[in-house]
Amino acid sequence: MRFVLVAIFTVLAWILSPQALAAPRPSGTPRSTILRGGPVDLGNGRTLERGLVELRGDRIIRVEPDSNSARLPEGATIVELNGHRITPGFIAAQTTLGLDEISMEPSTLDAERTTGDLIRAAHDVSSAIHAQSSLIAVQAIEGITSAIVSPRGGLVSGQSAWIDLLTGEHTTIVTARRIAMTATLGNVNGNSRAAILAKLVEVLDDTRFYASRRAAFDRRQARDLSAHRLDLEALEPVLRAAIPLVVEAHRVSDMLAILDIAKTYDLDLVLVGATQAWEIADVLADAKVTVILQPSENLPNSLDQLGARLDTAARLAAAGVEVGIAIFEDPHNLRNLRQEAGIAVAEGLDPKVALQAITLTLARAYGMQRDYGSIEVGKIANLVVWNGDPFEFSSSPQAVFIRGTSIPLESRQTELRDRYLKLERFRRPPPRPKAP
Amino acid sequence: MTATGMAHERGDLYVRDGKIAGVGSDLSVPSGTTVIDVSGTVITPGLIDTHSHIGVYPAPAFVAHQDANEAVSPTTPHVSSADGYWPQDPQLDRARAGGITTLQILPGSANLIGGSTFTMKTYLGARSAEDARFVAAPRGLKIACGENPKRTYGEKGGPQTRMGNMAGFRRAFEQARAYAQKWRKYREALAAFEHAPLSTEPTSEPKLPPDPPDHDLGLEALAGVLAGNVLVHNHCYRADEMIVMMEIAESFGFRIRSFHHAVEAYKIADRLAAHGASASVWADWWGFKAEAFDGIRENAALVHAASAKAIIHSDSAIGIQRLNQEAAKAMFAGRRAGLDISDDDALQWITANPAWALGVDAWVGTLEVGKQADLVVWNGTPFSVYAKAMQVYVEGDLVYDRTAPRNRPTNDFEAGFEVTP
Repeated sequence: MRFVLVAIFTVLAWILSPQALAAPRPSGTPRSTILRGGPVDLGNGRTLERGLVELRGDRIIRVEPDSNSARLPEGATIVELNGHRITPGFIAAQTTLGLDEISMEPSTLDAERTTGDLIRAAHDVSSAIHAQSSLIAVQAIEGITSAIVSPRGGLVSGQSAWIDLLTGEHTTIVTARRIAMTATLGNVNGNSRAAILAKLVEVLDDTRFYASRRAAFDRRQARDLSAHRLDLEALEPVLRAAIPLVVEAHRVSDMLAILDIAKTYDLDLVLVGATQAWEIADVLADAKVTVILQPSENLPNSLDQLGARLDTAARLAAAGVEVGIAIFEDPHNLRNLRQEAGIAVAEGLDPKVALQAITLTLARAYGMQRDYGSIEVGKIANLVVWNGDPFEFSSSPQAVFIRGTSIPLESRQTELRDRYLKLERFRRPPPRPKAP
Repeated sequence: MTATGMAHERGDLYVRDGKIAGVGSDLSVPSGTTVIDVSGTVITPGLIDTHSHIGVYPAPAFVAHQDANEAVSPTTPHVSSADGYWPQDPQLDRARAGGITTLQILPGSANLIGGSTFTMKTYLGARSAEDARFVAAPRGLKIACGENPKRTYGEKGGPQTRMGNMAGFRRAFEQARAYAQKWRKYREALAAFEHAPLSTEPTSEPKLPPDPPDHDLGLEALAGVLAGNVLVHNHCYRADEMIVMMEIAESFGFRIRSFHHAVEAYKIADRLAAHGASASVWADWWGFKAEAFDGIRENAALVHAASAKAIIHSDSAIGIQRLNQEAAKAMFAGRRAGLDISDDDALQWITANPAWALGVDAWVGTLEVGKQADLVVWNGTPFSVYAKAMQVYVEGDLVYDRTAPRNRPTNDFEAGFEVTP
């Protein structure tokens, strides 16, 4: 056993070494990496008990049951898993990662367009994402490989971007922008929730109106609009259902109201938060709405959240609702996503469904399933090698592949830790001088 | 798991009159004793949280419910969290279900000196703070350095800087010393008066007793700190500030009992050990403010490795529901960094060590004969993400039972709001 472990770590260490990362790729066909000999949770509900996954460039090019006769192309790097488990990289949805470095320092916050208006649809956060943020590696080395970065504030907050958690990749960290529109219902900015719903309907109406009378508007021959023309333009793909409208709502009345609106306008609706969703689980299942929630949130923090429970995810799944799991408020600890999934499992959610809830279900909800969310041929090679149950505290990632590259398992935090592992090297206070 | 460094593979626990009367294997108990078979489970001491605002920052977070910060002056040592405590807070039921049996309720951290804390137990049926109070617990005092007092008072007359914070502490304790001195002198004068021989000379003026100084509840609390009978709980994140606080404390002859949050405790774990301070920390919170930016997962483990007392605290009505899982995260992070931390060590971070920090370790915190029977029965190891408290006992009374058919909230607030699943 020991020899086997040494073998794994030798291979992993080589992959992680700077030489390997910097190794020049032979021109033409890039060399591939093959991970074999461990269970592979594909993320689509299926598991290969002993699987083989081949990566080349940034993609997965082969997924199959492992066998002694498996084809091993010359020059491929072989990683023997020896029982270690592979899962898809986890996805953090509706987060402000890259927009929030120190939450109470306003100069480090870029999530919100603070113009005061309720409709901020044109606010596209993709250009604000900070690739050098110290938060990115902290999450990545614990298995989060992608995030849906979303704006905050107002009724319609703006548009989300998809990122892969590659620190410092300024030009490529954002892989897709304007993938979803975020909105919040309820008592927003002290407005009656009825006024908020009416405003949303008015804006959707005006989006349709503006789309068909743009020339007239430019000639000043159209009636007044309820939002800036750029905000209405941004909402146009929502009306076409080309991107989802991702709506935070907690009270049953708000969820029923937005279901109605989504039906009227034929929108692609995703619900977020959804504290009381379990009360209308059948309705949500019929409407085929994905619900993204945070399982540990079981407190009645407001009247909208009365009835909050730990087993909401299990109840929704049992009713046939697609459930996603996310951490909404703390971009610093998205790494606890696996704990949230574990809590949902402890409260009755099927572990396979829980894994999908932080991988494929989210990719699908945001229209990114062609490239993300599961270990399937052709998808981006974002995956994690675990030394045990990925939801358990005793397990940790042994390797994290993002876009086919094994990232160094280092962060600002590991650097600080290493600096203070031995305190002897620090200075002692000098003895106080005696009075002369 | 006893939190004493010892575990019994198949143990028995004998409880009599609310106290632990026996721990071990194959205990013989008097006939007529109720026997509860919990085989397949794990028993630990009840969990203890040194840092909670349940009842003073309740759910729902109504404007009308914000009772933790008397933010009208940077020093309010005269107020007490017990006076603001709302026993119907729905958060308490969730904490109890997470295995919490003892917790300290603190005033907030807006003020340099926020007021007295109180330590309570998760008894059922408490209608007031007094009903819930851990009677034997000493008084605690909440003080706070760093960003919060600066932010609260920067535009309101100060302190505006960390300089002002520290000067504020020194001035307050100077006043307390003068106050204690005044009372000491008065008591001496009174004693002298009372013991003076009666004058036999008929002509002399009648001698009057000395006038007592004015009472000041706040200065009395601070004087209690100087005398060593009020425990100091210091909200403080940064290593350099903790060092200044220890210097201030030592110059006035007292100790900081526990630094709370202490996100940088790992940088000065040796100094904490030398001072005798514990560190009440989170497993992984960091970055929400500048003074929390250097948080690391190994904080508790490194404090432990330096022989200072590590404690996992919550400061959160979510975190308090699974202090065991927070301890697990901190324990495994420490092991991955090569530190030697046993399951029992990590259990002590949420039982024996917080009991010490609250000054109640003679009564709770471990499974030892003579201690109060505060227990949690888990469905397996408490350090799993799937761990659940099946039963919780306070002084031998069952206060939570996960399998009970009608396991409903006990607080008044949620009455009538419930939806039948």
